[in-house]
Amino acid sequence: MQTHRLSPGRALFALSLGTLACDTGGGGETSTGFDDQAVVVDYVDHVIVPTYTLLATRAEGLSAAVEALAAGPDADTLAAARQAWIDTRSPWEQSEAFLFGPVDSNGYDPALDTWPLNEADLNAVLAGTDALTVDFVESLPESQKGFHTVEYLIFGVDNAKTPDAFTARELQYLDAATAEMARIAGLLAKSWTTSLDGRRPYAEVFRTAGEPGNTAYPSLGAAGQEIVQGMIGILDEVANGKIAEPYDNHDPRLVESQFSFNSQVDFQDNVRGVRRAWLGLGPEESSPAGASLSAFVARRDPALAARVTAELDAGVAAIAAIPVPFRDAITDDAASGRIEAAQAALRKAQTTIESEVVPLVLE
Amino acid sequence: MRSPRNLALFAALSLAACETTGETRADFAPSSTPGGDTTIDDRTSQAFMQPAPNLDPQTLEAHLDGDLAFEAEFVTRPADINPGLGPTYNNVGCVRCHVRDGRGMPAVGPGPLRSHLLVRVSQPEGEPAAPGGSVPVPGLGLQIQDQSIRGAVPEAAVAVTWRTETVAYEDGTRVELQAPELKITLPDGRPLAPEVLTSLRQPPPVFGLGLLEAVPESDVRALADPEDADGDGLSGRPNEVWDPEVGATVLGRFGHKANTSNLRVQAAAAYFNDMGISSPVFPDPDGATDIDDETLDGAVVYTRTLAVPAPAESAAASAGAERFRAFGCAGCHVETLVTGPSEIPALADQVIHPYTDLLLHDLGEGLADGRPDFLATGREWRTPPLWGIGLTHTVLPYSGFLHDARARTLEEAILWHGGEAEAAREAFRKATADERKSLLAFLQAL
Repeated sequence: MQTHRLSPGRALFALSLGTLACDTGGGGETSTGFDDQAVVVDYVDHVIVPTYTLLATRAEGLSAAVEALAAGPDADTLAAARQAWIDTRSPWEQSEAFLFGPVDSNGYDPALDTWPLNEADLNAVLAGTDALTVDFVESLPESQKGFHTVEYLIFGVDNAKTPDAFTARELQYLDAATAEMARIAGLLAKSWTTSLDGRRPYAEVFRTAGEPGNTAYPSLGAAGQEIVQGMIGILDEVANGKIAEPYDNHDPRLVESQFSFNSQVDFQDNVRGVRRAWLGLGPEESSPAGASLSAFVARRDPALAARVTAELDAGVAAIAAIPVPFRDAITDDAASGRIEAAQAALRKAQTTIESEVVPLVLE
Repeated sequence: MRSPRNLALFAALSLAACETTGETRADFAPSSTPGGDTTIDDRTSQAFMQPAPNLDPQTLEAHLDGDLAFEAEFVTRPADINPGLGPTYNNVGCVRCHVRDGRGMPAVGPGPLRSHLLVRVSQPEGEPAAPGGSVPVPGLGLQIQDQSIRGAVPEAAVAVTWRTETVAYEDGTRVELQAPELKITLPDGRPLAPEVLTSLRQPPPVFGLGLLEAVPESDVRALADPEDADGDGLSGRPNEVWDPEVGATVLGRFGHKANTSNLRVQAAAAYFNDMGISSPVFPDPDGATDIDDETLDGAVVYTRTLAVPAPAESAAASAGAERFRAFGCAGCHVETLVTGPSEIPALADQVIHPYTDLLLHDLGEGLADGRPDFLATGREWRTPPLWGIGLTHTVLPYSGFLHDARARTLEEAILWHGGEAEAAREAFRKATADERKSLLAFLQAL
């Protein structure tokens, strides 16, 4: 899905900044705001780039798994393809904590994560006679490609599709669509690490925040604000968009990753992405930790740093406690307490970051 | 709430202030509240997509609901959610082109961005679509929809190539500029008839628009000087455009040529022309609509109530602001306007610094599209606001400036100015490297 940006918290955020301005206004002190270049560099090298690299690797794995499914659709190849979809989904959802840069400029987000899918046109293509090559699928609109189209085709509407239910054209389509996803994920990783179309790798743009000539991030403070705003944005999106929109409207059609019953995993990965952005952690257990915003805050207020981490962990746990599938939970009275508890946990973390971490970054 | 910070900034700058014309350099510093009370402190990729901080709870809720409308992506009918796309279109949702509520990319045709740029077309003569407006082209109307749902045919294929040219500063430094060249191919393989007038457009940012809408019409008209009676080389003409809801000709405020009266008509036109989505303002021929007033007004209130980002604090920017005035940029990019009453209290009576006069100016042959639009000539463009312009590449790297996104940098954008802005451009071109850098630092801080 596209980034969302709704937030009752936003008004609070701005208020907190205004208050901050009052606090520091009189003294003319030297700025003590965010100036830690190591955090910015490691955010790129330990958090962002490894996430996109993992996404590219897993998207290749999804393409291979779907190729095997297409070659011989049975319970095993179908299960493997579904698992590969879930595995690829994870780094993508985590990356929504830092959804800026080439992911929008080069259209990688719509290419991978357009919602809703265009069922009418997809069905027309499947019922038609066009050769379902990679080039043909690449030419189709984004609402007939990417995670959710592939999800719809391999999981079925009720997560109940059986191997014998796949038509030959669906398998050809899936094969081409997942190859296209792998191509896009590869380009996304490259847009950060190498020069694409003669452009400077975006890793360099962010790493060099504050250096002369850097117009995107003219100060380290702007880069620090980008990190923290990314965390706030996705916390807000999960609590007040991804959960609230279908829950408040009692509308399962609005649920993200509804076909795979993977919604809660998506939401948890969103918050795990925030946690990693905060702690400077890579996407895998073995990934080395880098300098982090958390450590920057801990040097000023260790209790606050520990509290943010604990609140993010509590957010992940609260989402995990919602009964699966989420599309049923939203209309189940017995689940509403847990849904609202998850929203409360996420809003608590968001408020702490907005009202206590942001002032330390912007000071 | 922000004034103490202004004082601190003022004090800091005053220490190093140089006396010029009786003003200290700090007098030129860009205001830290360009959007009045709607200003936020955000210099990130999310800077254009925050609600104004001063909204009352009811308006904030309307804004958040409207956010959903603005980001909705449409699909082919029948569908459970967001049906009605097309049959021909340029893109599938508001936010697809106004990326992160800012500009779009200089992209058109196939590819995952689809068409962020679009082409307006008209016949040089004939019966206009609306009184005083442009003359539609048979088979195309007033805009080429170059995408389609399955089973329909795009109205034409649009391709853009970029030709380069080089200009030199007085000190010999050279800058390469690029300008678009359009290739439009009709479904039968023929090129577009040469007499058809075309105008390539990019999506503008959508924050701060409610403030511009709330500037009293009399104030906009007071800035006009159509015959250049004051002899400053700047005319400044209001556009007079047809409002389909009022059923009359009124002041034009929005669009690259100010051809649209207000944000509701602007949004409805974008739904209809860019996405093929009909609404109560522009219904289908049988009176049906794809979206209702609630959705349309949701998108409208969203764009009305987005916050304006405060400028970055920068001593260099203050010196640059001085150059901005000295070069004459502020003649059209008017620094300060004041809003009048508004049905949204947060927008009423705000002192704002948008750097626009909302008027049309002749920008010369280099930027001319040769396609008149209501009273706007083929050389005239409405002064675009400059607030937040320094965040353009933070919000959307590689996006471009000017009406067709031809300028890759602010420097290129300045160098394209001609016509009424030629004197200002020449002042910039003849300035020293340090002075040019200083002006750019000012723009970059906005």
